[in-house]
Amino acid sequence: MKTLKYHFTLVLTSLWISLVAQPKEEDYYKIITMPVPEGILLEVGGVATLPDGRVALSTRRGDVWIVENPYLYDGELPKYTLFASGLHESLGLAYYQNALYSAQRGELTKLVDTNGDDRADVYETVYSWPLSGHYHEYSYGPKIADDGSMLVTANVAFGDQEWWRGESRVPWRGWTMKISPEGEMEPWATGMRSPCGIGMIDGEFFYADNQGDWMGSGGVWHVTKGSFTGHPAGLRWSGESDSPVKLSQETFFEEIDERRRFEEGRYIKPENIMDEENPLTLAKAKEQFPEIRLPAVWLPHAILGISNSEILKDDTNGAFGPFTGQVFVGDQGQSKIMRVVMEKVNDEFQGVAFDFKEDFQSGILRMDWGSDGSLFIGETNRGWGSAGNKNSGFERLVWTGKVPMEMKTVSAKPDGFEITFTKPVDRTLAEDLDSYSGQRFTYKYHSVYGSPTINAEPLKIKGVKVSEDGLSVRLVVDNLTRYYIHEINVMGIKSAEERLPVLHPTAYYTLNNIPEGNKLPASEWSTKRTSALVPKRPAPPKPVVKPTNEVLTYEQVKPLLDKNTCSACHQVNKRVVGPAFSDIAKRRYTDKKIVDLIYNPQPENWPDYSTPMAPMPQVPKDEAMKIAAWINSLKTGD
Amino acid sequence: MNSIRIALSAVMYLALSAFLCAQDRGMRPLPFDDLSAFQNQSGNWQIVGDVTMDPTVDIHAQPPVEKKKKKKSQPQADPITSVSGTGVLLNKPDDSHKSHLVTNWEHGDIALEVEVMIPRGSNSGLYLQGRYEVQLCDSWGVKTARFSDIGGIYRNWEQNPETSYMGKAPLINAAKAPGLWQKLEVVFKAPRFDESGKKTANARVISTILNGVKIHDNVEIPRPTGGPLVNDEVPMGPIMIQGDHGPVAFRNFKYKLIGDLDIRLEDLTYEVHHGPFETESEVKESAVVKSGSIPALTYEVAGKDNQYGIVFNGKLIAPRSDEYFFDMVYGGLGSLRIDGKSVGDGWRGLSESATLEEGPHAIEVVLFKAQSWLQNSLSLFVSTANSYPVALHTFGSAPPGSNLVPPILIEPASEVKLLRAFLDFKGDRSQRLTHTIGVGEPDRIHYIYDLNAGNLVCVWKGDFVDATPMWHDRGDGSFRPLGMLQYLFSGPSLAVLNSPEQAFPSSSDDFKSKGYTLDYDTQRPTFLYEYKGAEVSDKVVPDGEAKYFTREVIVANPSANTYLKVAEGGKIEQLPNGWYAVDDKQYFISMSSGQVPVIRRAGDLQELIVPVDTTPIQYSLTW
Repeated sequence: MKTLKYHFTLVLTSLWISLVAQPKEEDYYKIITMPVPEGILLEVGGVATLPDGRVALSTRRGDVWIVENPYLYDGELPKYTLFASGLHESLGLAYYQNALYSAQRGELTKLVDTNGDDRADVYETVYSWPLSGHYHEYSYGPKIADDGSMLVTANVAFGDQEWWRGESRVPWRGWTMKISPEGEMEPWATGMRSPCGIGMIDGEFFYADNQGDWMGSGGVWHVTKGSFTGHPAGLRWSGESDSPVKLSQETFFEEIDERRRFEEGRYIKPENIMDEENPLTLAKAKEQFPEIRLPAVWLPHAILGISNSEILKDDTNGAFGPFTGQVFVGDQGQSKIMRVVMEKVNDEFQGVAFDFKEDFQSGILRMDWGSDGSLFIGETNRGWGSAGNKNSGFERLVWTGKVPMEMKTVSAKPDGFEITFTKPVDRTLAEDLDSYSGQRFTYKYHSVYGSPTINAEPLKIKGVKVSEDGLSVRLVVDNLTRYYIHEINVMGIKSAEERLPVLHPTAYYTLNNIPEGNKLPASEWSTKRTSALVPKRPAPPKPVVKPTNEVLTYEQVKPLLDKNTCSACHQVNKRVVGPAFSDIAKRRYTDKKIVDLIYNPQPENWPDYSTPMAPMPQVPKDEAMKIAAWINSLKTGD
Repeated sequence: MNSIRIALSAVMYLALSAFLCAQDRGMRPLPFDDLSAFQNQSGNWQIVGDVTMDPTVDIHAQPPVEKKKKKKSQPQADPITSVSGTGVLLNKPDDSHKSHLVTNWEHGDIALEVEVMIPRGSNSGLYLQGRYEVQLCDSWGVKTARFSDIGGIYRNWEQNPETSYMGKAPLINAAKAPGLWQKLEVVFKAPRFDESGKKTANARVISTILNGVKIHDNVEIPRPTGGPLVNDEVPMGPIMIQGDHGPVAFRNFKYKLIGDLDIRLEDLTYEVHHGPFETESEVKESAVVKSGSIPALTYEVAGKDNQYGIVFNGKLIAPRSDEYFFDMVYGGLGSLRIDGKSVGDGWRGLSESATLEEGPHAIEVVLFKAQSWLQNSLSLFVSTANSYPVALHTFGSAPPGSNLVPPILIEPASEVKLLRAFLDFKGDRSQRLTHTIGVGEPDRIHYIYDLNAGNLVCVWKGDFVDATPMWHDRGDGSFRPLGMLQYLFSGPSLAVLNSPEQAFPSSSDDFKSKGYTLDYDTQRPTFLYEYKGAEVSDKVVPDGEAKYFTREVIVANPSANTYLKVAEGGKIEQLPNGWYAVDDKQYFISMSSGQVPVIRRAGDLQELIVPVDTTPIQYSLTW
C-alpha cells in the first residue's frame, strides 16, 4: 500500500510539473517596453541614470533626452525633455559632476546646463580627435575612471578596395583613449576593431569586441595601459612618442602574415583555410608578442551574441536578483543580454559566461541601472539588423522577485571546475556524471573575417562531488586545456525542491590560467553513470534500407540548426541577422553549393545584409548536406 | 561590411551620372561679342565688358535724371556701371528705349544656361519660344517664392478659367542678392502638334535649375504666359528677353537645340541561356533554352531564372548620321556590339558612344548574370548631343524609382537647429570635412561651421539639410545642405602670418576647438576656440529679414600679425560703395567694424584678409 501511494504521488508530481510547463526567462525577469511619444525616435547610443533617478538617453540621431519617471510610478507616463541635440551620432553617455559627457564621432563633449532650464547651453569640446570621414569611424564612451579621467574607444575604418580589412587611417582609430577632464589625451591601448562594448568594473576598464577580421569571436577584454587586444590596425601609431604600445606594425606583420594579395589588378580577399594545420591562435601569438591581451572571457560567436555591447556590473545589492557583483553584457545582433562572472587567477581575469535574457525588441547597445535596481536598456539595430526586429527601443528589465534555477557561477579549479547554483540541486542527479557534458575549443587568429571553432574535443569529466548544502558541485575534468573555452552543459541537473531544470544550462569558461592548488582526491568523487547501469541489449539487426534522399522536416532539422548555431542568425521565413532560409532557397543553389557556402560563405552575395557570415567548417558534412537539402525543400514552385 | 554595398551603389551612381551628363553634351556658346544674333532693338541693349550693380540702391528709388539735376546739388551716382568690352549683354532702358530683345533664330526643344545679374528692384524675363516666360527679377530675401519671383513660370492675366494660367512658383526661392551673377539652366520641350496643327502635347519645362537648385521638375505649361511675342503656340519660336521693366545683364549664354530622336529597334530576337556564366563566350557556346522575338529589350525573357545569359540581336535604325551615346545599366555583365564592332562592355553598366551612318545597323546586346543576388534589370538609353535619351527597353525591365529611398529631411522648427555631420566640401567626397556643424534658423537661412578650423564653410537659404546619407541604414556620417548654397572656403580662418606674403596654412596644430555655447533666448551658438594663446569667439547672426549674415569674431590676446581670412576666390574687387565682391561677383563682404581688409594674391586665387586686433571684427556676408 505504501509503495502504491508513493507511486501515485510520483505520478501526480510529474504530471504537475508537466502542467506548470518549463520555467521561462520571463518568470524571473520581465521586459517593460517604455512608452515613447510618437515622433521621438530613440535609436539609443547612450544611457545614463542621473542622481535624481531620471534617465538620460543619447541617440544616433544626435539627441539627448532626459526621461522623468521612467519607473512608471503611479501608472504615470514618463516625460521626455530634449536636453541637447545636434550631436554627431552619439554612442555613449555618462554623468559626472553635474554634466553629461558623450562621445560623438569626432570628439568627447561635455554638456552642461548652466542656466537651469534643463537644456544644455554649453557644448564643450573636451578633446577632439581626427577622423578620415569613413562611415565606420564610430567612437564610443566615455566610461569614467576613479580619477575622473574618461575612456573612449574608436572603431577602425575599412579599406576602399579591401573593404574587408580594418584600417586605422588617422590616429587613434582602433585605440582606447584616456582623456582627463581638462582635455589631455593619453593613448591608452590598442588592438580594438569595433569596440562598442565598454564598461568600468571596480575601477578597471573592460571592453568587448565583435567578430571580424583578426577577431575570431567576440569576448570581454580587461584593458590596462599598453594592452594590445589583437586587431593590428592601430599598431600603425605605436611609433608615436606617447604610444604606450611599442610593438610596430612592421614587426607584427613580419611574424604574422596579414594575407594581403594583389593579383590581376585587384585585391584578393583572404578566406578561411579549410583543414589548416596547426592554425595560429591569439594565445599562441601572445608567446611571440607578450603585449597581446587575451580576452578574459570569450563570448562564443553566434551563441553568446554576435555583436557584444555594453558591459555593466550588477551593483544593485540584490534589487536585481541573485547576481550582485556579476557582470551583464548586451548584444546588438541577438537582442539579448549575457551574464559574465570573472575571477582572477595568476593575477589575470578569466571567467565564465552564460545566456541571461533574450527577446528584446531591437539590438541592445547600452544599459544602466535605474535608481530602483531595474535595468534600463537602450536599443538600435539600424544598419545591422537584429533578432528583435524593431529599429530602435527603450526598454526596462525588472526582476520579478523569483530566483531562477541557474548556475550562479563557475570557477576554475586545479583539476576542473566548481559550479555554484542559485538553489540546492537534486543530489541523485548531481552525482550522476550523465547530468554533465561539454567540450573545449578555441578560435583562429587570422586576417579572415571571423573564425570557425577549432580543436574541439569533448570534455572528459571523470568525477563529481556535490557539496553538503547541495549548492555547488566540483567537476573533475581530465582534459583541461589552457586558453581554451570550456563549454559545460548541466542538462541533467534539477533543483532539489521544485525540481526545476537549470534555466540556462550551458556555461562557457575561458581558462586562461589553470589555478595551482590541491586537487580533489579520487576518493571523494562520484563516478556514477546511470547509463552505465542499464544493461546493454544486443543491437537490433540492421534493417536493410536503401539510402534515401528523404528531406528532413522542420522538426527534424531544427536540432541540427540549433546545434550548429544556424538559428542564431537565420529563421525559416523571417529575415533576422542573415537571410531567411526561404530566401536562400530562392537563390536556387544546388545542395552542394549550399554546403560550400556554409564552409566558405560569400557575404558579397547578400549586399543588403550587414553582418557577414563566418565560415562554419565545423558543421559536419552529413549534417550540412541535410540542412542544405532541407533549405532547398523550401523552394516555392515556379 | 557595408563597404560592399557602398562600392556597388557607387557603380550605379557612375552609370546614372554618366546618363545625366548627356545633357551637357554639345552645348555651344552664344558669345556676346555683338548683337548680331538678335533682331533690331531701340538701343537699350548693348554689349559691354563688365558690369557692376550697387546692391544697396533700388532702381525705382532713382529719381528721373532731369529732376535730379534740379533738386539735388550732388547727382546720385548711377547704381549700374559698366566698362566697355565684350562678353556681357546689358539692358539699360529708359522711357523711350525699352525694346524687348528677340533672337533672330528660333528653337523648339532647347537646353540653355546663362548667368544673369539683376539690380535691386529690377525685373525682366526670358521667354522661351517668345511665349513662355521664365521670370527674372530681384527676389532676394523673398520668404516663399511665387510665380512672379525669379525662376517662376509667369502666369497670364486671362480672367476666363478656361484660358487662364496661374503660373508655377519655383520649388524654393533660390535667388541671390542683386548685383551678383546668378546661374539659370533650363531644359525645355516645345509643344507638339499633329498634321492638322492641333496641339498634341503641352510645352514642358523638363528642368529649371537656379543657382544650382532645381526649382521646376517636369512641369507642363498649358498655354502662353503673360506678355508673349504672339499669343499662340507653335513648334518653333525665338527667345525673347523682356526689356521694358528695368535693367538686367547676361553673360555666358550657352545652348543646344534638342529634338526627338526617331531611333528604333527592328527585328529584335533573343536567345536565353541557363547559367551561371563567367564569360560571354561561355554564354554563346551553351545551349539555347528559350528564344523568340520581342519589340524591346528586357531581361524578363529569362523568366524566373536567376543566373542566365541573354543574347539580343536586331537592327538599330539610325535616323541620321551622327554620334550616338549609349547608356546601358543592368544587373550583371553586359556588352554592346554594333555592326559586329564592340561599343563597350562592363560590370553593371556602360556609357559609350559610336558614330553611325543613317540607316540600319546590326546591334547585339548581351547580358549575363552569375550573381543570383543582383537585382534583375536591363535598360539601354540612346541619345545624340541634341536629343533626349530614347529608351530601347521595356518599362518593366528597369522601372524607375526602385533604388530611391524616402529622404530624411531636417528643418528647424521654432528654434535654431544645430546638427553635426560630415560635409563634402563643394560636394566633393575627397574634400570631406569631419567636424562640421550645420546651424539652421527657423527663418530659413543657414550656415555650416567647421569646428576643426574655426571657419564659416558655407551659407544658404531655403530648406536646411538632407540627413539621408547619414541616417539611412548605416549611413556614411554626412549630410547634404539643401537650398541655394554658397560655399566660402575650407581651412583655418585665423593665422599668424610672418609676412603679408606668407600663405595661409591649410591646417594648424595650434588650433583647439572649445565647442560652443547656446544663447538662452535665441539658442544661437557662439563658437569658441584657442589659437596660439589667443581665445576666440565666433558668432554668425542673420539680419531680421533673413537676407544676410553678420559674423562677429572676437579675439582675446592675439599674437602680433594675426589675420582673419574672410574670403577667397578667383577675383576679389572693391565696389564703389565700399563692399567687396568675391569670386567674380558670387557674393559680397562688407565690413562693419573698423579694420581695413587687404586683398592679396594667393596662388591662382585672391584672398581678403583682415588684420586682427582686440576689437571685435564684424562683417556682413551677402549672397
